[in-house]
Amino acid sequence: MPTVSVKWQKELYPAVEIDTAQPPYVFKSQLYDLTGVPPERQKIMVKGGILKDDSDWSKLGLKEGQKLMMVGTADEIVKAPEKGPVFMEDLPEEEQVVAVGHSAGLFNLGNTCYMNSTIQCLHSVPELKSALIEYPQSGRSNDLDQSSHLLTVATRDLFNELDKNVKPVAPMQFWMVLRKKYPQFGQLHNGSFMQQDAEECWTQILYTLSQALRSPSTSANLDTVKELFGIDLVSRVHCAESGEESIETESVYSLKCHISHEVNHLHEGLKHGLKSELEKASPSLGRSAVYLKDSHINGLPKYLTIQFVRFFWKRESNQKAKILRKVDYPLELDIFDLCLDDLRKKLEAPRQMLRDEDGRKAGLKLKEKSSASVDNDVKMSDAEGSSNGSGESSKAALGGGAASDKNAQLTGVYDLVAVLTHKGRSADSGHYVAWVKQENGKWIQFDDDNPIPQREEDIPKLSGGGDWHMAYICMYKARTIPM
Amino acid sequence: MDPEPNNKTASGTGNPKDESTLKAPSKDPKKKDDKKEEDLSEEDLALKHQLELYVERAQDADPGLQKVALESMRQEIRTSTSSMTSVPKPLKFLRPHYGTLKSYYETMADSDLKKLLSDILSVLALTMSAEGDRESLKYRLLGSEGDIGSWGHEYVRNLAGEIAQEYSKRVNEEASVDDLIELVEQIVAFHMKHNAEPEAVDLLMEVEFLDLLVKHVDKTNYKRTCLYLTSSARYLPGPDDMSVLDIAYTIYKQFEEYPSALQIALYLDNMQHVKQVFTSCPDLLRKKQFCYILARQGLSFELDEEMCADDEDREALQEIINNTKLSEGYLTLARDIEVMEPKSPEDIYKAHLLDGRASAGASVDSARQNLAATFVNAFVNAGFGQDKLMTVTSEASSGGSSNWLFKNKDHGKASAAASLGMIDLWDVDTGLAQLDKYFHSNDNHVMAGALLGVGIVNCGIKNDCDPALALLADYLDKEDSSIRIGAITGLGLAYAGTQNEQIRDKLTPILGDPKAPLDVIAFTAIALGLVYVGSCNEEVAQAIIFALMDRSESDLGEPLTRLLPLGLGLLYLGKQDNVEATAEVSKTFNEKIRKYCDMTLLSCAYAGTGNVLKVQHFLGQCAQHFEKGETFQGPAVLGIAMVAMAEELGLDMAIRSLEHLLQYGEQNIRKTVPLALGLLCISNPKVHVMDTLSRLSHDADSEVAMAAVLSLGLIGAGTNNARIAGMLRNLSSYYYKEASLLFCVRIAQGFVHMGKGLLTLAPYHSERFLLSPTALAGLVVLLHACLDMKAIILGKYHYVMYFVVLAMQPRMLLTVNENLKPLSVPVRVGQAVDVVGQAGRPKTITGFQTHSTPVLLAAGDRAELATEKYVPLSPILEGFVILKENPDYREEA
Repeated sequence: MPTVSVKWQKELYPAVEIDTAQPPYVFKSQLYDLTGVPPERQKIMVKGGILKDDSDWSKLGLKEGQKLMMVGTADEIVKAPEKGPVFMEDLPEEEQVVAVGHSAGLFNLGNTCYMNSTIQCLHSVPELKSALIEYPQSGRSNDLDQSSHLLTVATRDLFNELDKNVKPVAPMQFWMVLRKKYPQFGQLHNGSFMQQDAEECWTQILYTLSQALRSPSTSANLDTVKELFGIDLVSRVHCAESGEESIETESVYSLKCHISHEVNHLHEGLKHGLKSELEKASPSLGRSAVYLKDSHINGLPKYLTIQFVRFFWKRESNQKAKILRKVDYPLELDIFDLCLDDLRKKLEAPRQMLRDEDGRKAGLKLKEKSSASVDNDVKMSDAEGSSNGSGESSKAALGGGAASDKNAQLTGVYDLVAVLTHKGRSADSGHYVAWVKQENGKWIQFDDDNPIPQREEDIPKLSGGGDWHMAYICMYKARTIPM
Repeated sequence: MDPEPNNKTASGTGNPKDESTLKAPSKDPKKKDDKKEEDLSEEDLALKHQLELYVERAQDADPGLQKVALESMRQEIRTSTSSMTSVPKPLKFLRPHYGTLKSYYETMADSDLKKLLSDILSVLALTMSAEGDRESLKYRLLGSEGDIGSWGHEYVRNLAGEIAQEYSKRVNEEASVDDLIELVEQIVAFHMKHNAEPEAVDLLMEVEFLDLLVKHVDKTNYKRTCLYLTSSARYLPGPDDMSVLDIAYTIYKQFEEYPSALQIALYLDNMQHVKQVFTSCPDLLRKKQFCYILARQGLSFELDEEMCADDEDREALQEIINNTKLSEGYLTLARDIEVMEPKSPEDIYKAHLLDGRASAGASVDSARQNLAATFVNAFVNAGFGQDKLMTVTSEASSGGSSNWLFKNKDHGKASAAASLGMIDLWDVDTGLAQLDKYFHSNDNHVMAGALLGVGIVNCGIKNDCDPALALLADYLDKEDSSIRIGAITGLGLAYAGTQNEQIRDKLTPILGDPKAPLDVIAFTAIALGLVYVGSCNEEVAQAIIFALMDRSESDLGEPLTRLLPLGLGLLYLGKQDNVEATAEVSKTFNEKIRKYCDMTLLSCAYAGTGNVLKVQHFLGQCAQHFEKGETFQGPAVLGIAMVAMAEELGLDMAIRSLEHLLQYGEQNIRKTVPLALGLLCISNPKVHVMDTLSRLSHDADSEVAMAAVLSLGLIGAGTNNARIAGMLRNLSSYYYKEASLLFCVRIAQGFVHMGKGLLTLAPYHSERFLLSPTALAGLVVLLHACLDMKAIILGKYHYVMYFVVLAMQPRMLLTVNENLKPLSVPVRVGQAVDVVGQAGRPKTITGFQTHSTPVLLAAGDRAELATEKYVPLSPILEGFVILKENPDYREEA
């Protein structure tokens, strides 16, 4: 009966007796008592391998006091989970898009970056997408010309493709149709297509879409594009000389931000843009006189488009020259004070709710403050809200979708969702790039076929003042509050 | 190399006149030379006339007069040759008479006087004889053979130079050199006495008579002599370098500097010498230190009774060689540095620093990214025994998230299971217990991983019970090839360098098995190559050669086939000429693999030799341009790195050559260059290499970029280098869409933070003197696998990445007391300074900081004790070092 010591993990069991008359299984049972490792899972290292249950002790040449090593665990055996995880690599390509977190880029077809960036910006409007999906392939209304119809179809198909693909898309079809509809984009210079003004492209596409997406069944009121982008302006045209005054109303798709020496901030530029002087024939004076036009917003869209009037026609150089001046714009824009009093009244209630909600998020600080400093508080809670609440609120807005549109109330507060920037010295040269906020809150810079993730704090840095990309068109999305 | 001031001759003469003549010329010798005779000072004039008189008298018929004249002349010369800042006056004034004396000498009859004149002529020839005439030597040999040093240093030095020339001439003519050797002996004795060891060694090397050195070294100069010998050996062609090191070994042993002797024995890979060191050293504690040195080299070495008589002591020593305490020491270091807390891959990626740029798709698991996380987790937590993915129990990981292992896909599970081995690296007991539960899995991939894990955990550790062999042997013949590969590779890792015959008997049949799939055969060849690394074992070589010959034409085109020649090459790692027979055989292979095999064999055989001719050979191979499909240039480029990595100078040259290859080479060369750079600077992030790799990591060719990214990881391996970490972080956002490149970036990040910065992959250790063959073998296998990244690393054989485990070593200095328990002492750690051939006791480190042990040592760092209280038992403070209390130490009041 030799005695051996058995080492198991870090422990050493000295003086274990082996009854060589019995099969090794008995020895294993002995060890089971000591270690709790079931015999069938014990692996005991002996000369020439592992001790088998039917081994012959005499052949193993055991020595008195020999040290044996036993491997084995009493732990539960790891079982594979019944349902394995799903791997991205196994998914079909369409589903991989979701995982990537942004849609595809667009190939540059030769100076078409203005078009690509415009499409990327418009593509980020889900409501426009859903409206296009409903657009019928063939059923064009009578008042729509063939080329507009084709352009709308091409837009729909292109948006579809962007959503489906991970790899960049070549917008061939769209490009052809666009040139057909608007021959000015097909201008050639030295045998290649010329760079164009993205704003023009933007306006023309929106115009076409507004024509096409006018619902034929019901009255003209249901104009999807107008509902999404249209801004109602009420202008008071006043002539200081004659004291004449008239009220005009109009609907535009974008606000202009005029840039002059006093303008440092978007807000100032917008105010500037809403006031203008014009010269027209005065019926009372019988000659032309200077009229002051003072506009206010009477109806807010879901998506507020703002164009920085950066380009002006420079006669001497015969091109659209660019104003490089730095004009700051915020990630969160409040245009309450640009609105007409009627609209302001309508906005009061939703705004109060928004404030309350922000206040709640900011830890109910609002109530403690005196009402005298409400204005201050708004700014403060807004600031806080934008840091910790913007993600949620944008999600909430998204979640609202088309169905709850009616219930969601506008607040006059807007969040930046897309920026179209230009780099270069004139509108017909340089490079256009779109910076678009994705549904997951991440920003992507669409530089033609190359989508590059960006940080949100870098987006307001595109405000100009150098030769870097600078904002040309900004698109803001309304922050709504369910009522 | 200024000669030491020769005090002997200067103090021997008290003549004030000589002193002044000596000083005068040294003030402004130039000016003096320009002037005519009449400008000479009175004293000089007198000396001149005096010498002219001697010359005249020396030719006198009267021998008495002659003798007096010659002796006076000798006196004048001797007293003035002590300084060599300018030509001594007497030599200058005697210059016009050199011809006269020479012609008179020819006419003299043999006599003592003739010898006396011969001596004088020999000295005069120092400045006057024409280049190449070697007249100084000629007259010396004809002369009186008196004390050579009395003529001053310059004379001896000049003589040594002439001897070297004369010697090579005589050897060519096959003439006798006995008289020269006699002279050499005198010169060597003189040099050794006057702190001019390098000169003595140089001369003896020239005349190929180094054995003479042993007679002349003493306690004061043996260290410097040996240092010069060992460092000059690097630049000598074989087999001279071996004989030089043999001498150094003999000297070290003679002066009982056993650790150094042992190191040279290891360098020579001479087990006989190693044994001698053990048998000739009586002290048990010192023997323990030897064992630590052997363990670091990764040698398997069996002590016998002759080396240590006492059984218990021998067991203790063997335990050190078996590396069983490595894990303990490593954890001591980790605890001291406070890095025990496990790190998750996210801690390494530091995605928050790239806010907004990180991929957003967290909702879906990516198999490739999870695999990368598995590797990163394994490398970062290597050896710590705990991590945040694999070792956490399922209940601890908040129920919902199931076992990480199963978040890997198919063969990814193999790498995940094997990563447990990496996490428990060197801790066999815990590791095997952890792996055991996966042995009972019904998933073949998990099984394969567990088997591989057994190999990893046992890497570099030997155990009497041989658990790895016992556990793995049963799985070698399993049906499933992934299980077989797991077991085979596991054995290769666990028994690398052991030359274990049992393993050979088990593995060689697989090579001959016609039914075995190619991948099993390839990994068997690698495993055998590792086990028999550098052994030149005929049988194994035969087996691999036959396996190569049996491959079908289509097999030879497979990427994995390249592992077969590599397995063969590993057998001859660093063995230089021994490869020739096998290389001849390889010429008969199918032409598809012939050239590849040739390059691989050659690069392995000359790895770590610094052989310039071989580097040139490889460069020549790379200069050829091929249309497509030639793969042999890959191993050729790697070969440049493998050969040139031996010493710093060659290494820098190789880096420059590789830059040229980048500019002129084809794609197949360009994609290998980053890997070669990675090997050259492994775990040694040199800034310019870092920049080159950073540039290449954005290369338009994705294979070049992938190799560059991985190499960035290799050069920063285990350093936590902040600059590389930053680069890789930026690359991770740059390549966030390209899954393959992102995978490489992640692996590289894992490398950089390997062992949380406590490890090194450098195969060189002991102040860059010794090369661990198993470590190099592991790296070379990985790099060869990287030659076809797509098929191997990015394919289903990603577990070749675990071969780096062979090179993983803690980069630490852990001082232990006489009971081998950790002992904290202050040490200075600084940049090592090359002190070869410097006089006096130069500083060995610069820019040092004082720490207390255990400390981390970066590449190129050297440590020295900052206290007199202890004496280290090894002159090289790396790894485990035993400290003995200094008996002469007095506590300062």
